[in-house]
Amino acid sequence: MRSGIVGAVVALALAGVSPSSARAVPVATRQGEPAQLDTTYGCIACHADKRTAFVQGVHAERGILCHDCHGGDPAAFTLPAAHRGRFTGAPGKVATVALCGSCHSDPNRMRQYGLPSGQVAEFRTSRHGRLLLQNGNQDAPTCTDCHDAHKILRPDDARSTVYPTNIPTTCARCHEDKRLMGKYHLATNQVEQFRRSAHGVALFRDQNFAAPTCMGCHGSHSALPPTVTEIANVCSRCHMLVGQAFDKGPHGRAAHAGKLAGCLGCHANHDTERVPADRIASACARCHAPGTRASTLGGQIQQHAVQATQDLQAAERAIGQLTLAGRQTGDARFRYQTALTAYQQIAEAQHSLDFEQMEDLTRRVRSISRDLRGMAEVAGEQQWEHKLLLVPVWFLALACLALAVFTLRGLARGAGPP
Amino acid sequence: MAGRLRSAIVQWLAQFWADLKASTDAGLLSVLRFLGLLYGPIDAKLPIDQAFRKAMSYRLAPHVGWRHAMGGIAYLLFILLVVTGVLLSVHYRPSAEEAYPSMQHIVSNVRFGWLVRDVHAWAANLLVLIVLAHMARVFFDAVYKPPRETNWLVGVLLLFMVLAFGATGYLLPWDQWAYWTAAEALNVVAGVPLLGGVAVGMLRGDPIVSGATLSRFFGLHVIVLPWIAFVLLVFHFTMVRRHGVAPLERPTGAPGVGRRFFPDHLLRSFMVAVLTCALVITAAVLWPRPVGDPANPARLPETIRSTWIVVDVSRALMHYLGVWGFAAFTLLALSLAFVPLFDRRPERSLRRRPVVATLGLLFFTGFLVAWMAGRRLRSVPASVPSEQRASPDSGVGASQPAPPADSAGAGATR
Repeated sequence: MRSGIVGAVVALALAGVSPSSARAVPVATRQGEPAQLDTTYGCIACHADKRTAFVQGVHAERGILCHDCHGGDPAAFTLPAAHRGRFTGAPGKVATVALCGSCHSDPNRMRQYGLPSGQVAEFRTSRHGRLLLQNGNQDAPTCTDCHDAHKILRPDDARSTVYPTNIPTTCARCHEDKRLMGKYHLATNQVEQFRRSAHGVALFRDQNFAAPTCMGCHGSHSALPPTVTEIANVCSRCHMLVGQAFDKGPHGRAAHAGKLAGCLGCHANHDTERVPADRIASACARCHAPGTRASTLGGQIQQHAVQATQDLQAAERAIGQLTLAGRQTGDARFRYQTALTAYQQIAEAQHSLDFEQMEDLTRRVRSISRDLRGMAEVAGEQQWEHKLLLVPVWFLALACLALAVFTLRGLARGAGPP
Repeated sequence: MAGRLRSAIVQWLAQFWADLKASTDAGLLSVLRFLGLLYGPIDAKLPIDQAFRKAMSYRLAPHVGWRHAMGGIAYLLFILLVVTGVLLSVHYRPSAEEAYPSMQHIVSNVRFGWLVRDVHAWAANLLVLIVLAHMARVFFDAVYKPPRETNWLVGVLLLFMVLAFGATGYLLPWDQWAYWTAAEALNVVAGVPLLGGVAVGMLRGDPIVSGATLSRFFGLHVIVLPWIAFVLLVFHFTMVRRHGVAPLERPTGAPGVGRRFFPDHLLRSFMVAVLTCALVITAAVLWPRPVGDPANPARLPETIRSTWIVVDVSRALMHYLGVWGFAAFTLLALSLAFVPLFDRRPERSLRRRPVVATLGLLFFTGFLVAWMAGRRLRSVPASVPSEQRASPDSGVGASQPAPPADSAGAGATR
């Protein structure tokens, strides 16, 4: 009994608290502030390092404590007493899935937080889940590898490992590990490619969270690479109009038949970019031999795309000139938006290979661009006309100066007024 | 009936003119003298027509020449600014929503609105240069020495007025360049110890530059500063009239053989005025002030073009010398302002006051060099991280035109 009391006092002293100062501190519930743990809680006497991480997490905020996952007796301050009963210690990877799922697969418990309850079921279908749960492969990640074991934060917390801009780094922990990926013949440059891609630039530079991260295409808990026939559907989730146009065209039909790798026929997967207007024909030439009807069509599409691009850029410059000259540009900007919409629709026509529609849209862009350039030219001519004002101004000024000089000379000769 | 009315009016006017000529009240002549239309002392004991003739026949000091014209040019530019400013205020609307469109309206729709606006902008720039040239002449001629030291300090205050006019007027176009230059400048001022934060809080009226700031700047620009400048100008001119033009240290000519005020001096002043107006109009026509996109607090511009000489100078000092260089140059300028308090000996030759001459040379040439250097800089707002300044080398983005600046920003064109 005495040794138990001494042990408790020593443990409390190690944890930085004394029995007299030990008091119940309410669990904080304000988001973003570290939660305060009850200092009479026995686990922290030894595991103070875990406490530091844990109190920042969402579980501490909701009053879920160490013994809820690890078991044991939190009221005890000695090692044997604290670890008795249903004590699980640090669970293994497979046990972790079951442990997290014990709450997170329960819709009745998750409903109050607005959280889904199918993550474990999804995980079982994923490549990671199959490796871990079916094969017992310890290389595969479990819940805590992505979400951390103790410092589990909301996905909208910028410190979270699953915050949109942090997701590529989280995936890269394993997928950039050459030794680990080498065992499975997987490349390790996907994240680097993604950072350079249009999606990566939108996400990291523009902080555009509508841009996909790794999980946007692969899924999160059900992470799998899309199959050839799935790719077009995956891209269409965001690029809906282009996706619909693609489905209508011959390439879409080929993709659904498994003869073409969908969008990947022309675009890359991780270093995704638009095909530049002046390289459309060379993209077509990857599959279509020169001189064929398809190759000729590719050349014509490129010609129209380049022309529309140049027209739109000229329209943009014209608005810049009008703005610099201080002219009212409301109407011009509205017309530019119309041209921009037509320009974006060209991309749809391009994906459905509807050449007639593409011609029509290109003409529309050119027409608006010509009007805007005309407005800028008129403003430029008016500025030139303003310079004509200098003729009467300097004529008057020089006349006045000449008059003054002659008068002064006359005065100097004594011929002027006294 | 009409004939009798006309003869009554003529008779009344003749009587009025006779009374006026017989009057010994020289108040009217004082007004003319204040406006620069009369020079020299006025004999208040004489009837007004004789006093007027006497004042017109006044001869200036023999050494007064073209280099003394700077003060007059500065005054003319000030009057140009007042006139064009009043014309602009007829159409300008000082609110975040309407400032930019009203400025576009002035340039696009108002007859000769573009000319009025650009003459206003150019006169503001030239005023800084001319005031500094005037002060350089006064400084190197050592005219600031007793008994004219008070007038030197009033002149320094007038220079501050010119700077304050420019700083408050710079924001009024409410385009991206004006907005972000004002934002950066206020951030720098906020860093000044003790009063910086309080002053910026009062000037800005909001956590960021906003419509509240625009209202404050407009109020200062068209109401507060003009009254202060008017009072200072009256004091400045009165002191000039009281002390007269500073004589040479070693007079060379005989007294009283200088140029007659009328018509010789007035004709020369007229020539200078005509030339100044023609040059300002020429600059306004050939190099109109460009306009940026509408002010948008949520979007940093890629570059900021400066349209005011003081911004060029500040930008060059900050860019090449850093904050400490800027502070040192400001201290140098302030030290020149207070030179009359320490340099009170009668010597006026530059060789006998090398320290003061060196300081003056350093400031005035430094200002010119900084101005030239600032014109070459195309600055980026300091708050823009460097990695955001360059567009990504995607190889594809370049072929896809981006939409022009969103017109739905603050003060967007409707």
